[in-house]
Amino acid sequence: MAETDLIAILGFVSLFALMLLRVPVGMAMGLVGITGYSMIVGPGPALKLVGQTSMRTVTEYTFGVIPMFMLMGAVVSVSGLGRELFKAANSMIGHVRGGLGVATVLACGGFAAICGSSVATAATFSTVAYPEMRRAGYPQSFSAGVIAAGGSLGAMLPPSTVLAVYAVLTQQDVGKLFMAGILPGILAMILYVITIFLIVLIKPKWLPHSEPRAWRERLADLSNVWAPITLFLFVIGGLYGGFFTPTEAGGVGASGALILGVLRRKLNIAKIREALLSATRTAAAVFTVLIGALMFGYFLTITQTPQKITVFLTSLGIGSYGVLILILLMYLVLGCLMDAMAMIILTVPIIYPVITQLGFDPIWFGVIVVMTVELGLIHPPVGMIVFVIKSVVQDVSFTTIFKGVLPFVATDIVRLAILISFPAIALYLPSLVR
Amino acid sequence: QDKNVALRISTWVPAQQPLNPTLQAWADDIKKQSGGTLTFTLFPAEQLGKAFDHYDMARDGIADITWVNPGYQPGRFPIIGAAQLPLYISNAKAGSAAINEWYQQYAATEMKDVQFCMAFTSDPAGMHSRKKIVLPTDVKGMKIRPANAMLAQFVTTLGGTNVQASAPELRDLLERGVADSVMFPWGSVVLFGLDKVAKYHIDFPMFAAPTVLVMNKEKYKSLSVNQKKAIDDHCTSTWAEKVATPWADFEAAGKPKVAAQAGHEIVEMTPEQVQIWRTAAQPVEAAWAEGVKKVGGDPKQILDSLKKTLAKYKSAL
Amino acid sequence: MKNNFSDRFINAIESLAAIFVGLVALNIFLNVLLRKIFSTSIPDSYDFGRMLLGILIFWGIAATSYRGGHITVDLVWTAATPRIRRAIDIFATLVLLFVVIVQTTMLFDKVRGTYNDRVLTYDMNIPTWPFYAVAWAGDVCAVLLIAIRTWRLMFNPESLEHGTESSESQENHG
Ligand code: NA
Ligand code: NA
Repeated sequence: MAETDLIAILGFVSLFALMLLRVPVGMAMGLVGITGYSMIVGPGPALKLVGQTSMRTVTEYTFGVIPMFMLMGAVVSVSGLGRELFKAANSMIGHVRGGLGVATVLACGGFAAICGSSVATAATFSTVAYPEMRRAGYPQSFSAGVIAAGGSLGAMLPPSTVLAVYAVLTQQDVGKLFMAGILPGILAMILYVITIFLIVLIKPKWLPHSEPRAWRERLADLSNVWAPITLFLFVIGGLYGGFFTPTEAGGVGASGALILGVLRRKLNIAKIREALLSATRTAAAVFTVLIGALMFGYFLTITQTPQKITVFLTSLGIGSYGVLILILLMYLVLGCLMDAMAMIILTVPIIYPVITQLGFDPIWFGVIVVMTVELGLIHPPVGMIVFVIKSVVQDVSFTTIFKGVLPFVATDIVRLAILISFPAIALYLPSLVR
Repeated sequence: QDKNVALRISTWVPAQQPLNPTLQAWADDIKKQSGGTLTFTLFPAEQLGKAFDHYDMARDGIADITWVNPGYQPGRFPIIGAAQLPLYISNAKAGSAAINEWYQQYAATEMKDVQFCMAFTSDPAGMHSRKKIVLPTDVKGMKIRPANAMLAQFVTTLGGTNVQASAPELRDLLERGVADSVMFPWGSVVLFGLDKVAKYHIDFPMFAAPTVLVMNKEKYKSLSVNQKKAIDDHCTSTWAEKVATPWADFEAAGKPKVAAQAGHEIVEMTPEQVQIWRTAAQPVEAAWAEGVKKVGGDPKQILDSLKKTLAKYKSAL
Repeated sequence: MKNNFSDRFINAIESLAAIFVGLVALNIFLNVLLRKIFSTSIPDSYDFGRMLLGILIFWGIAATSYRGGHITVDLVWTAATPRIRRAIDIFATLVLLFVVIVQTTMLFDKVRGTYNDRVLTYDMNIPTWPFYAVAWAGDVCAVLLIAIRTWRLMFNPESLEHGTESSESQENHG
């Protein structure tokens, strides 16, 4: 084995050791990347690479898309749009058996169309929908499970910060990736609703139903959803209508959400500050990983690791779909360890060359990989979305949440299989753009 | 026997861009002359760092040899800015030999942190727009993606505004009206699909983008006499032309492809119109001269020498 | 009181970072508005936008580092006993401190380079180094705050119990 290969392997091993010892993922990647780089090229260039990569990454205009959609999501979260969406959906369908669950899925979908984060979506509906479901007599596990599943829509339906990061990393078109997420997101909603009705079929008494409401009230509740719809049409419509670039869509969306919130008296100075702070912190955390990943990436480049991994995987003789499934299994395992964003940033630069080499469509793979890492956020033993629900809803145990999540995990695996079999579900809409 | 040295070459254009195979061939030729003691690995497509950082990368040893567009960093390399001034260079082949010969006089001062190898230029080209441009006055109020910082100043002088973006983003920006016009060589117009959006083209050698190939100083010094000679023998005006040629041919091949499509208008310039553009560029030249004076250069000597060398290689406009 | 001082300090830093994220959005919003309505643009809005982004990120990193808001892998930590947890925490902050010190030093080198090389903005030809310097100052604050955090972790762990780890780290990364 060549010396560089040994250094690369040592690099991976120490990276995982550092991460398990809770060194921030980005810092661990940076430290290992730079150390490895200096072992091969020399300490001088390695140190220069630290300053250059850090500064270049944070001043890259197109990366602005990340904090901007985070800001938009944060503003939307503090301005109570989630509650209105849920109220409207509940008003329409809440009286059906399992209807509150369906309402949660629909409202999550609506919220996901203006918020780019699945964790924020789950957090919002933990406060909005969970108490309602419990009051109606829904079991804890189901209530938490449906929120976890609905939350994952945040990263699939546009806008999506994870898809934006994937686009940035692979130099793919953000707009196309957003578009590719629409049908899989809608498919997810349909499958979640089917799952809920299947649960109702199997255990009819489990999910009680309430009295239907008067049509006048229903229409009043429904009329409130004009705000999120306007915002969605404005941002996503503006993006595809050729009015602005993805980065601009984020900035304009954040500003639009702010203006809308202020005009509707849903925002005050304290809430605006909260939203700005939340976006700043999340952006800083993600950029730390981005910087680290780029440094680690340069180290991998000079050891030519991605090429070697590609050669290795293609030489296994398991076919391109065999390699794909191997990769997705790896994501599920990694999903036990870390956050979606960190997983994407850590792995995509290594996996992406393999995927393109095998002839898979990069846009389609973006959707597949985001679905897989989102699955990691809800499957046991660890999952970011589950943690968030647990922190909002203190009275539930992890076991209960995971029990409620399981039917939806099964649904997601079915959806993944459908998307692998029919890539057109992801690729049809982007193909219309050009 | 010389010791073996492995060198990393870094560029910022996609692997299939003709410059990459050309540089690979250039490197192979050095390898041959060095008796196989110098070996090269080419890292295209910003694998080792961003386009803007390529000068620093050679200086700091992040890569050993890098391809640099000095025009990306406004203010940093004022002298080579002369070759970025509008309407000087008529072709990229002999023109590259000329620019290399001319810039060799200044390279050691202006690019003193690196071992300068050679300079060569992109194929001179015009503008590709959604609205028709014929004269400088048409630029007023337009949003233009300039080829480099010097041309950005030209745009500002003419009353237009600048749009900064990487090549893959350009088509999107034109479609969304973020940009109205792009200064781009023909082949790249086709490569990045700009011909789907930009229907008006002014076709005259309005600008050229001079680029340089530089090497890490320490690395160069560490080589044996033979190895240094192998490198030096490949840092010549002849090689500048050789390296620039496939690239220029690729760019030139774009024009008939665009012309063959329906709905495109290619505006050729009369000598009088070229003169109008030249007059409009005067303030840019004046500003450039100021910038050169600030770093202690002699703008008149520099420009005269450029004109003379270009004329010698029959590449003056 | 020392506590009060560093709390005010961290609040001020967070507010600054928050203002910068607002400025980035405002810059984009105004630019789109100007383009659509008056068919013009803010000179250098691109360069301002990206340099403000840099400032916001480094100041944000300062706040995030202090709040313990970085993305981490918590598998071992969650399973560990309180004693081991504390050891892991101290180790992790020390590594963090080391990495950020190296980063800050090398960023200074980068700012100095930008100054020496007279790099200007595209439209108005304004020197870019002051923007880079402000961004760098954020990283200096990060070093200070991580140092405070490390010190507190080692000698005064109670002061970090509330208001940092648990309540602040639920950000929406995904
Ligand atoms: Na979304
Ligand atoms: Na998981």
